[in-house]
Amino acid sequence: MKRYDSQLEIGGTKLRSRLFLGTGRFPNPAVLQQSLEASGAEVITFAVRRVNLDSVEDDSVLQHVEDRSLVYLPNTSGAGNADEAVRIAKLARAAGLGNWIKVEISRDERTLLPDPLETLRATERLVREGFVALPYTSDDPMLCRRLEEAGAAAVMPGGAPIGTGLGILNPYNLGLIAEQSGVPVIVDAGLGSAQDVVQAMELGADGILVNTPVAKAQDPVAMAKAMRLAVEAGRLSAMAGRIPRKPYASASSSTEGALFGGPYAAGSAIEGRRAETSAEGLRR
Amino acid sequence: MQLRDKNASKAGLLEKAKQLRELTARYGVPLIINDHPDIAIAVGADGVHLGQDDMPLGEARRLLGPERIIGISTHNIGQARLAQAEGADYIGVGPVFPTGTKPGRTPVTLSYVSEAAAEIRIPFVAIGGITPDNVDSVLEAGARRICAVSAIVGNADPAGVCRRLLERISRYEAARESSGPAKSCEVTVNGRSVLTDAGTVAELVAQYGLLDRKLVVEWNGAVLARHEWEKTPLENGAVIELVHFVGGG
Repeated sequence: MKRYDSQLEIGGTKLRSRLFLGTGRFPNPAVLQQSLEASGAEVITFAVRRVNLDSVEDDSVLQHVEDRSLVYLPNTSGAGNADEAVRIAKLARAAGLGNWIKVEISRDERTLLPDPLETLRATERLVREGFVALPYTSDDPMLCRRLEEAGAAAVMPGGAPIGTGLGILNPYNLGLIAEQSGVPVIVDAGLGSAQDVVQAMELGADGILVNTPVAKAQDPVAMAKAMRLAVEAGRLSAMAGRIPRKPYASASSSTEGALFGGPYAAGSAIEGRRAETSAEGLRR
Repeated sequence: MQLRDKNASKAGLLEKAKQLRELTARYGVPLIINDHPDIAIAVGADGVHLGQDDMPLGEARRLLGPERIIGISTHNIGQARLAQAEGADYIGVGPVFPTGTKPGRTPVTLSYVSEAAAEIRIPFVAIGGITPDNVDSVLEAGARRICAVSAIVGNADPAGVCRRLLERISRYEAARESSGPAKSCEVTVNGRSVLTDAGTVAELVAQYGLLDRKLVVEWNGAVLARHEWEKTPLENGAVIELVHFVGGG
């Protein structure tokens, strides 16, 4: 049985926060820094890109976060196959900021959905090369199992396509993944607001990675805080154990000693229909 | 043309500077004043030349503004790098040979000329004891500009010496041009085809002004560690990626 206060551990690193924050698309570096602070995130993601040779301005993200003690999770976005992902991962590692890598391989520009086969191939190779690999994957329980077998340090199923804010499109799958997984499950991509974060945590996720819903919120700093509280609330709620769903009301005030007959008078007539429905049957 | 007269009074120097400004203006020759930014400003000279013990470059730049030329004498590659980093327009490299103009100064020899040629991206002028008889060795070492004082003003036929020196420089320039493509490399940098005269990866990164940035270099598909940059000569067709971290999810 998981404990409320147990720490998330990935690749041998114990993490204080279960919220991972992406650093893209923030309106400016100051808002990024404040959002990072408000989110309490310890793991941050970023991308590897070509230096703009036409501009003298330094648009590197590291200069804005260097003075914090963080775990760096560079991604392989922009890779269309395993070879490219491995190349990007090696470039990221050469920067000397650790050996974590978020495997992100996409070939479809409309959905940016991860290519499952290339993601699996890249994960196998990166694990062999000594990386702590966290593949961003489709919410497929079998694929997540294969990624775990390939040595992934965590699996990161998407709730919905990146940046859509559609929330968790397949809670059933996500629940299965959380239930079966022997490595941490970090729900990544597609979340829209704190509500989706709570849902993911209640479904059994071990952590959340958000970027766009914070960076593009009207007030990114407030949303960063909302995400932090949602992770905590969702986690506690999942641990506390929810009540089973029932089709009809059961009074929360005692029916004993009611002054008038009211709704309880016909009680015996509907007794049979009030039978508890199995929680499993109505699970969302 | 540079005005250098360590013995003249300031008033005398100013008078010489005025005359030289008139003369050089008539022939369209840039005039550089040694050591004295105020005189350079007063006579409308094109720039100043500073020694290592003169006014700091930043201060001279403030006095002279962004347009005027500022050159600095350097005697080793460290001074040259510093001058380049601080925004000098050119440097003097020398004294290459023992010279009567600066008696008692230990020559820096041709090896410093070669070092400067390999690394320094701003123009450099080799100076010190250079004559028509030894100028070939200086050009051979990589110098493209030379400065001569004693060899010219100490000769009965200064114009003749100038012509002979110019002829040698032109010959080397012509040879450099004809062998140009061999010295410059065509490489692909961040997906763009680039013709560069950089000799090594480190020089290429320096030419983009990126040496002090946190970046990673990929060389023909493999990571090139920072300590390898200087040891890796550019070659035609090489594919180079200069990458860093930007915001991402």
